[in-house]
Amino acid sequence: MITLEGITKSYNGRPALRGITTTVDRGEFVYLTGPSGAGKSTFLRLVYRAELPDSGAIVVNGRDLTTMRRRDVAEFRRRLGVVFQDFKLLRRRTVAENVTFVLSLLNFPDREQQRRAYLVLKQMGLQHRMSAYPEELSGGEQQRVAIARALVLQPDLVLADEPSGNLDPERSHELMELLKTINYQGTTVVVATHDRMLIEAHPARTLFLEHGRVVKDAWVAAP
Amino acid sequence: MNRHAVREVRRQVRESGAAGFVAVVLVAVASAWGGALWTARAWVETELLASDRPATVVAVARGPAEAAALREAIRQRAPATGVSALSPRKVQEELANWFPELATVLLTLDERSFPPILEMEVSASEEAAIVPWLQARPEVTLVESSRAWQARLQRTISEILVAGLGLAVALLIGCGVVVLLVVRLLVLAHADEIAIMRLIGAHERDIRRPYLLCGSVLGATGGVLGALVLAGLWVLFRAVLPTLAVSGWTYGALPVGGALAGAAGASIGLASLPSEP
Repeated sequence: MITLEGITKSYNGRPALRGITTTVDRGEFVYLTGPSGAGKSTFLRLVYRAELPDSGAIVVNGRDLTTMRRRDVAEFRRRLGVVFQDFKLLRRRTVAENVTFVLSLLNFPDREQQRRAYLVLKQMGLQHRMSAYPEELSGGEQQRVAIARALVLQPDLVLADEPSGNLDPERSHELMELLKTINYQGTTVVVATHDRMLIEAHPARTLFLEHGRVVKDAWVAAP
Repeated sequence: MNRHAVREVRRQVRESGAAGFVAVVLVAVASAWGGALWTARAWVETELLASDRPATVVAVARGPAEAAALREAIRQRAPATGVSALSPRKVQEELANWFPELATVLLTLDERSFPPILEMEVSASEEAAIVPWLQARPEVTLVESSRAWQARLQRTISEILVAGLGLAVALLIGCGVVVLLVVRLLVLAHADEIAIMRLIGAHERDIRRPYLLCGSVLGATGGVLGALVLAGLWVLFRAVLPTLAVSGWTYGALPVGGALAGAAGASIGLASLPSEP
């Protein structure tokens, strides 16, 4: 699903990733972990093609991102779902509108938009909050809306950048359960987190990053 | 254009608020002004400066004898030319009529103080030939042609029109700048949306189109208002100038011009957009 081959990336001469080589198979659940500045977010930004590497090759879903034309990036991203620590919901739109935004952009019929939004929000346990605005929701609910938005197009791959960063421990565990469920349904999930306890509570393959390098690639088991 | 784009354009126009209203008013003023000038130009050219109209040529003779000789010479040169003569007495009376405050003085003068005048109506092509011929005649002291006055009037009107249309273009550029600012404000207000649109796979055209169309809609609305103002002005002036007419082309051009100015402003306002998070 994801192949990185000798990826380097620096910002203003300061290296963020140094020769990363790794693969993530289809249907896998993978954590990226490490201290701040280790390169977790850069790794994800490269995978959803917000950035291009300085050198190396990235293949996601069979598409070489380094040679991908700009106009093909949009199509590529429609097969991805991305979740952020700060949710990045549209404040002036309701929960349902946040979720259907991508569908309306793709000109789905209104009924189909509503149907899909209902189903995915029901999966998140938020079907009763469809007309609420993000500010009326708790952090955990907002994050679930963000996940619903990421899932509404049934992506092959979900990327989550510190998705539990703004949630209390209980909501964090609920979120991880949700991501695990999505993964069990066949979606590849990559989660960047520095929360070691969360990883231990929901064990999976973990890539340990330090100073832009993968220093360890191992299955983290519960302590 | 899909439903999403239509909804977005409607929303952008609604959210443009007071700034959008100012843009619409500016476009309306600019387009009404430009349309009125264009209509005035067309009217002046048709009614006052038509080149195919006969010209009136006036020749001032040295005296009655010279006037008679000149009349005979004109008859021989162009028998079909109708020449009317104003005797010194008639000229004296005409001048007294034109300048009533000087009438007392003018009418006390000896009528021989006034020259006889020959007036003729000639075609545009004949005018070009007869004026130099008259000027070369020894019996003539002065030759004036309505065409020369037309040319002077045309020059003056052209200068006024150039200045007026320049002002209209400047106003339209101003409208473009206002639309640019409106779109820039909308982009800043929607920076999060644009970033997320990129993230979820929106094409560049999907992101830009609503803003571009919003600019065009504001401009076109201003143009339509301008056309309505122009129609109102036409109704007002029709009573004074019955031959005044606004062409359908002018009415059509105003919304199109407004839309283009709006689109141009919007496209500059969209020069840089937020990138994905």
